[in-house]
Amino acid sequence: MHEILTNAWFGLMCLMLVFYVITDGFDLGVGILSLFSREEKERDQIFLSIGHVWDANETWLVVLGGAMFGAFPAAYAALMEQLYVPVMALIASLIARGAAIEFRHAAGRRRGWDIVFGIGSLGAAACQGVILGRVITGLEPGGLSFGFTALCALGVIAGYALLGATYLIKKTHDELVVASRRHTVISLLLAFGAATVLTAMSMQFPEIGHDRWMQPGVFPLLAALAGLAAFAGAYVLYSLHIQSSQGPFRGAILLFLASFLGLGVSIFPDLVPGKLSLAQAASDSATMAFMLCGIAVVFPVMIGYNLYQYHVFRGRVDLSH
Amino acid sequence: MHEASLMLSRAQFAMTAIFHILWPILTISLSAFVMLMEALWLRRGEVIYYHHVRYWSKLLILNFAVGVVSGIPMEFQFGTNWAGFSRFTGQFIGNILGFEGAMAFMLEAGFIGVMLWGWGKVPRKVHLFATAMVALGSTISAFWIMVANSWMQTPAGIAVENGKVVVTSYVDAIFNPAMAFGVSHMWLAAMETGLVVVIGISAWHLYRRRHAPFFARSFKIALITLAVVAPLQVLIGDASGVEVFERQPAKGAAIEGHWETNAPGTAANWSLLAWPNKQEQRNDWSLELPGMLSILATHDVHGKVTGMRDIPLEDQPPALPLLYYAFRVMAGIGFFLAALAVWTAWGLKRARGRLEALLAQRKLLLAWVLCIPLPYIAVECGWIVREVGRQPWSVYGLLRTRDAASSVAAGAIWSSSAMFIAFYIVLFIAFFTFARKWLRNGPQFEEPNHA
Repeated sequence: MHEILTNAWFGLMCLMLVFYVITDGFDLGVGILSLFSREEKERDQIFLSIGHVWDANETWLVVLGGAMFGAFPAAYAALMEQLYVPVMALIASLIARGAAIEFRHAAGRRRGWDIVFGIGSLGAAACQGVILGRVITGLEPGGLSFGFTALCALGVIAGYALLGATYLIKKTHDELVVASRRHTVISLLLAFGAATVLTAMSMQFPEIGHDRWMQPGVFPLLAALAGLAAFAGAYVLYSLHIQSSQGPFRGAILLFLASFLGLGVSIFPDLVPGKLSLAQAASDSATMAFMLCGIAVVFPVMIGYNLYQYHVFRGRVDLSH
Repeated sequence: MHEASLMLSRAQFAMTAIFHILWPILTISLSAFVMLMEALWLRRGEVIYYHHVRYWSKLLILNFAVGVVSGIPMEFQFGTNWAGFSRFTGQFIGNILGFEGAMAFMLEAGFIGVMLWGWGKVPRKVHLFATAMVALGSTISAFWIMVANSWMQTPAGIAVENGKVVVTSYVDAIFNPAMAFGVSHMWLAAMETGLVVVIGISAWHLYRRRHAPFFARSFKIALITLAVVAPLQVLIGDASGVEVFERQPAKGAAIEGHWETNAPGTAANWSLLAWPNKQEQRNDWSLELPGMLSILATHDVHGKVTGMRDIPLEDQPPALPLLYYAFRVMAGIGFFLAALAVWTAWGLKRARGRLEALLAQRKLLLAWVLCIPLPYIAVECGWIVREVGRQPWSVYGLLRTRDAASSVAAGAIWSSSAMFIAFYIVLFIAFFTFARKWLRNGPQFEEPNHA
């Protein structure tokens, strides 16, 4: 029973992480890309496309943090304590961009707030990459983990930019769509490059490359996921080619799903490879069961009104505002 | 090194919490006020209510933004700076904060977009529903936070096994002894804040005779509500005090500068003003009313009130003068606002709500403008009483604060604290710049969009 609950919570947290990475991923990516936009009218479109959803998107991170604190308190405590600097830098970036996007609406001169938003978004993506890299490398020091972590930061930035660019393709107008197509190709190549090198480097980490990947059934599963990721990347390029408005974003989401599923499979049954297993970090059955009851009731409702919000603001942004 | 990190983490938590709480108290109440206005608009069809919705929503969003961003560190610093606390309490506090995120933050965030940007895109009733969900979300957030905090004051429903909290009864843990008063006292304090802000800003416009009929409406509605809420808060505050004396005698003794337990059959004296001295374990000076404290603290003429000298030195809270005066400022403001609200409401009733009579009361209007900071000061003082008064414990009687801290280098905490200070200054300046602009621009009288 305890093991089922532990695995259920790991699964639920993976789901929350996927929601977070895809939803806040695209608005962080949109923020990163806004740095490349020189015209205020164009940036108005960019901000209009995420103004109503960024807050809910970011809230998935807070929900994830709360879930981890409750279900795996030892992991929450250890990770936050040991990753003090990147977590604080992440918080700083999120504060900066959150304040900037709300204040820009009230401001007369917006350029300054827009730059703060862009840099905050870039910083948040980089910090998340660093946190991811540190977790995968088991919080080990050394040159190899440093390089891996730096590349992770680059990969996350490129991945978010890909989500952001494909989102802008379906939400904005005219030249911005053209520019976003170009940004899609560049970020897709960067993301794929980073992912390939990171995968190769993972072989060097014994906990992942030797122990986990060599377990029966794991490697074929990962190979299938890699194939899916390659297909998703090709689909993004194909739908760009046929000038589809929805296709590139869908392809980018599929790419993220495949990558994060691969990550989850590679790490399981640990939370920090070789350092902290799910079983060591988990709460008692009573806590996990009670929390699961509460979350299971609100989870579908949360998804429901989030979808409703996307439904209300569907279609390309309204320029008459 | 640990000592330095501990003090810095405590200072950082105090600073982030003191800054953060300024914003949600207005979000909770102002969103409820906007919801009321929107409901009145739908019910009565008078467009003035729609204009009120739009007007106050602009202040709400500025305030909401600072509340959201200043709340992010709160969620994560339990782990970054208080890993010991997280490990010890995670099975309960983590669970409760998880509920808060999923039930409250997401509800607010999921509907604030529709509330702000959905005009003309969704039917009016759906818009009202979105506003109501934002208001409900902020109240649910206050509920879970006060559940968690009350449990830290009066932990219940748990056992300690292998150095960590194990929940034995969720009902007992959630409905812990301090929970009912904690939730209601804080919620009413938030309500008072928003109402005083609406009254104060309306009074400012009335004082300058700008849009008088418009602001007379919000002035009256908020004032009549406050005339009910503020006296109720005094009663809840009093009951909450009795509970503190019963469950946390050290905190009770600290806020009243009370050193010696009264003998059975006698009544404890109450100091109106004093200067507590922890080193000498007595008050340097005091102005006492004989026998009053037993009545105040226990509602019984000869009720026993534990004096600080009967509490071991290592379990006594620090900063006694701070606690003593923070409590007096909070209670004083509570009484003052209740009296002023009732008095003003009485005057309005006698003048039968005539606008001219209200506009003629220049000094009263100005007094209400000057009242705007008071509920904020009261809330901060109340939190100082609650949190500093619980020291040296993080979880009362179970976990000492020094055992709750992370082992993070002092330099890292210094840097993050400096970063937060810089952010807070920028957020303050930006908020007041935009709020001033909003105040100057006054209401916009546009026709409602049709969906």
